Amino acid sequence: MTSSTHPFEQEEVMAYLDGELSANRAANVAAHLRECAECAALAEQMRDVSVRLSDWSVEPAPANLTKNLEAARAEHVVAKVRKPRGFTGRLGGKFPFLRNRWVWAAASVAALLILVLRIGLPTARQESRQSEGLQLAYTEQSRSADTPESKAVGTASDNFKVRPAPPALPASRGSSPKFSSSSADGQSNPEPTAPMIARTASVSLTVKEFAPLEASVKAIAQRHNGYIASLTSNSPQDAARTLSATLRIPSAQLESAISELKQLGRVEQESQTGEEVTKEFTDRAARMKNARATEERLLDVLRNHTGQVKDILATEQEIARVRGDIEQMEADQRSLQTRVDFATVELSVQEEYKASLQGAPTATATRLHNAAVEGYRSAIESLIGLGVWALQALPTILLWAIALFAPGRWIWKRVRRTSVSQS
Amino acid sequence: MTSDEQLILELQKGSDEAFTELFLRYRERVYGFFRRRMNDAAQAEELAQETFLAVLRAVQRYEPRATFRAYLFGIAFNILAAHRRKSGLNATQSDSTREDVSDPSGTNPENVIWVRQAVDRLDVAEREVLLLREFEELSYEEIAKILRAPVNTVRSRLFRARMALREILATTPGNLGGRK
Repeated sequence: MTSSTHPFEQEEVMAYLDGELSANRAANVAAHLRECAECAALAEQMRDVSVRLSDWSVEPAPANLTKNLEAARAEHVVAKVRKPRGFTGRLGGKFPFLRNRWVWAAASVAALLILVLRIGLPTARQESRQSEGLQLAYTEQSRSADTPESKAVGTASDNFKVRPAPPALPASRGSSPKFSSSSADGQSNPEPTAPMIARTASVSLTVKEFAPLEASVKAIAQRHNGYIASLTSNSPQDAARTLSATLRIPSAQLESAISELKQLGRVEQESQTGEEVTKEFTDRAARMKNARATEERLLDVLRNHTGQVKDILATEQEIARVRGDIEQMEADQRSLQTRVDFATVELSVQEEYKASLQGAPTATATRLHNAAVEGYRSAIESLIGLGVWALQALPTILLWAIALFAPGRWIWKRVRRTSVSQS
Repeated sequence: MTSDEQLILELQKGSDEAFTELFLRYRERVYGFFRRRMNDAAQAEELAQETFLAVLRAVQRYEPRATFRAYLFGIAFNILAAHRRKSGLNATQSDSTREDVSDPSGTNPENVIWVRQAVDRLDVAEREVLLLREFEELSYEEIAKILRAPVNTVRSRLFRARMALREILATTPGNLGGRK
């Protein structure tokens, strides 16, 4: 029986019996089996083989199987099935002591203790910072979080006394007035004890005297230990001159700097906003701390254990990844710190414009000359334009003309013939 | 009734009951899988136990793309292959000449013996496909995955195995045992 005499291969008949054909194909095979005795006999033999095979049953599984499996599960399941996944899980595989829950419990308690100490120590640390003569000191008033000043957005800087610092060394860069611990060891994270507020102010002025303005703005920035991030000055010919600048002023001196800026001219618009970033800072500090602890643990693992080369490589890769995270977070933290330490002032100044009569009208001869030059230029331009258009369009026009010539001619002749015959 | 696939997903989440249920459902079949392929009942029991432990160990690697039955017998097949390698046999080669094991539940013990002897005479590769289809009830595709062979090859082997078995059984006294 082949496909030359039957529409289906024998294997397809078998696949039909095994339920392996698509519905369409199965219906066709079923129809064929009803008509073809030979194929029906083959199907019957197949079924018979299956029936004969089903006689081959085996004895029931021994009861020991259940018991032994339970015992084996007791030995292996706890260690293997509930094994923590991921990198710590793999470490647990290599260093069995990490599987011990008491090790983890002790580590958790130690971490908690460190956390409590970190939170409890700020006041003591603050005292020592003051004695070390840091530029910014945390005042007694700022500890009272209930005072309206410390709650109000935009007035947090009032809580800090600022000592003058040389303008070349921006006041609190690298150390914050609001933190109870320094980063002396490069490892500890400052804990904010007062709301951290990134302040932004915007001032629009109109001045009568524009000339001395730029120098005045620079002087104000310098006087308040700040700096000018950007400054743009426009002097259009027939319009008022404008100046826009972005100043970065230490938050503590923002108010006095703004009041000085406002004295430069008439205030058109003024606004101040404050964005509380304490949570973001604290969260990131906590994540940095965890990442450092992880790094330290991984370094310990690397120092104290000699495993296979691939394990060491995996550990080193993990250390590199964690270090990268830490550095990224440190950079973000520094950037946030700068935003808090230095308020941003957007200054926009416009000169009071007085229109003036300027210069004599252009001579007639010059105007005529200019018009002639313009006329000549436009004539040449139009000629070139025509040439360009012709070069671009001519090939297409020619192509269509050739293509339509024969049918056009035929239609023309036909029309002519009709008109002649009618006449 | 909860499907096997739902049970294994519950097992992934740590459900002991799910494992117990799967074990009860497949205990006999997994034992039968090994028992039909080896003479030593104790060995079959040990490998069946190892199969269930392997399911536990690798439960997190199970992906719902495959049916649990195919997954389970895939593991069983790998364990059997490893055992045979250790014993110096090919992965698809059966144990040494089997003694006839009595079948307490069989309707006709003689038939069982003839069938077993007939199966033993099949080509090893064809025999494995036949057993996986008839007893483990796996689809052609599932068998192909386990044996790492194309589906068409599986179908051809199965066809040849059935045809050969038909010829062998037609000439054996078992054929007289009340069946066609």
